[in-house]
Amino acid sequence: MSMRGFDHGNRGIGVRDHQLILPSVVCSTRVSSRIAKEIGAITFAHQHGCGFIGNDVGRITDYFAALANHPNVSSTLVVGLGCETIQGNELADKLLAKNKSTNYLVTQESGGVQGTVDTGVAAAKALRDFYQPTEVVLPRLHLGIDLSNDDLKVYEIVSALTNVGVDISVAATHKNSGLNFSDLMEAGVHVILSFPDGNQPASGFPLIPTINVASDSPLHLALSDDFDLSAGATSEEIMEKIYSVINGELTKVEAIGAGEIIAGREVRSV
Amino acid sequence: MSDQLKAFTRADGRWGLRNHVLILPLHSALSATARKIADESDGAVAVSHDWSGEVDADFNRIIKTFSGFAANPNNYATVFITIGTPGELLIIDTAKKLGINKAEVLNVAELGSMGKIANAGLRIANSLLKEVKTQTRISAPWSALALGQECGGSDALSGITANPALGVASDRLVELGSASVLGETTEILGAEHLLAARAITPEIGAQIIETVARYERSINYEGIDMRGAQPSRGNIEGGLTTLEEKSLGAAKKAGNAQFSGVLEYADQVPRSGLYFMDTPGHDTEQLTGFAAAGINIVVFTTGRGTPTGSAIMPTIKVATNTTMATAIPDLIDLNAGTIADGVKTLSEVGGELFDLILAVANGQITKAERGLHHEFSLSRMYNTVIK
Repeated sequence: MSMRGFDHGNRGIGVRDHQLILPSVVCSTRVSSRIAKEIGAITFAHQHGCGFIGNDVGRITDYFAALANHPNVSSTLVVGLGCETIQGNELADKLLAKNKSTNYLVTQESGGVQGTVDTGVAAAKALRDFYQPTEVVLPRLHLGIDLSNDDLKVYEIVSALTNVGVDISVAATHKNSGLNFSDLMEAGVHVILSFPDGNQPASGFPLIPTINVASDSPLHLALSDDFDLSAGATSEEIMEKIYSVINGELTKVEAIGAGEIIAGREVRSV
Repeated sequence: MSDQLKAFTRADGRWGLRNHVLILPLHSALSATARKIADESDGAVAVSHDWSGEVDADFNRIIKTFSGFAANPNNYATVFITIGTPGELLIIDTAKKLGINKAEVLNVAELGSMGKIANAGLRIANSLLKEVKTQTRISAPWSALALGQECGGSDALSGITANPALGVASDRLVELGSASVLGETTEILGAEHLLAARAITPEIGAQIIETVARYERSINYEGIDMRGAQPSRGNIEGGLTTLEEKSLGAAKKAGNAQFSGVLEYADQVPRSGLYFMDTPGHDTEQLTGFAAAGINIVVFTTGRGTPTGSAIMPTIKVATNTTMATAIPDLIDLNAGTIADGVKTLSEVGGELFDLILAVANGQITKAERGLHHEFSLSRMYNTVIK
């Protein structure tokens, strides 16, 4: 089956054409959301970027870099505050070394909130105009599977998809889908197939279409409208859904714009 | 009773300085729906977060944070959105025990989907907002006001201008009978002996010393040097040299009043007196802990400038220097840089800040409120990578 892709340079070929407004610190999440709303880009709130020590500095910097370098991203605008632990300009330099479609700005040097929003909207528009979507055929799918709930069908799907040349990453470390999503994002998967724990709702990741498959738990039965596929879906139906989502169908969580990032931390904030 | 302070009465006898309708998602996956409800409503507020019901070493701290935040007296009502897990139900119960003014619970599992929750939530939010319009402020005692002291993006002038000005205002409020809280344990490290000497009893003084020592032990236990994060690179660019220098300046926020006690993170604040609360220096983790403690107004001093606010506590920004206050005016409510400029005295600016706190308490909107800066962070003590 043919798969639609977008050529995103050194990021690779993605299945979505998302422009990312990346707040490098919690303090710039509001400014980022104003910029993103104005130009129809993607952003998300998070609580990271400052007050880090130890391994978390490198861990979260790498996490942000993985977000910005994800194949589903067309261009990235990093928005910093200025005085935080993770310096936006250093992060942007790191990103620029891989992709020219990166820009950054800092609130403390851009005349405050309104100044940053205005500069940010202009910068994001320039990126968008310069890096127009180039539709191509996705040569090879990288599928992520969140196995918070062990579902026997997964083994059938994995074997069927492996036979047709699909790369598969499985995250089953956490009962928490959100942390598994982060692992899968860092692995660079195009699409996530999520089997959430029976006590967890359907959820998603901002840049990556996430297909939620229900279990037969009481919660999942009650929330059936929020799932893309019911517990009874066959592996054929699941694969059909994956191809349809690759080719543009929005998943349930994509449609409502849900998706929080959950990044692991080793040490308390200081 | 003060003839100056006007506030909203609450069912449990506390006072609100605002009348918020808070949409609180109790699971991270419900955050987008909560935001949607708030955005489409006639003025409700919402927060987003990354907690998905984990029952781990931080569970009690998270329950305490959410329940206290929900029960903050600035909330006229809190609309909980829940999938009904035991942890989420515990948050709602705890908030009710703390004295929440009005609670509505929307259970996603009962209503059937996020879409139905969004519709039901919007209807309830708008009907609560209509009720809010019928409420009026009445004369309130000074104990109705609980002030949180915060500094972020500090620079070399913080300890000379904005922080001492806040100290003047805080002392005056404490004398009148308000509560005032100094936090940020990281940022009193090196100045704890000076604060301990101002405790009303030797036991409270020892508690201040121990809280800082405990904090230092927890970081040393990780085998990590705090330098690199504290003072932050922005602090250093702002002219601060050491953590001790930063701390000596940060401690000035608490003025000269005596300390009446030490509070754990998000402990409920007593009605009157000066307190020290064990919070991290991370601005939004600290602000979230203050809100969870029942603090209803914050003064946030800043040298580098920051937009950060709270969904439910008015947050007054005080600049330490005129250069920044002029360069990014849409973040700053008061410029204390005039002290260093030689234009005004410390007591004049302290008086201006006291007047501004009163005006904001009585309803004047801060820059952070106008900009809808509703940042929220959960403070965790333990590793979330390995589960």
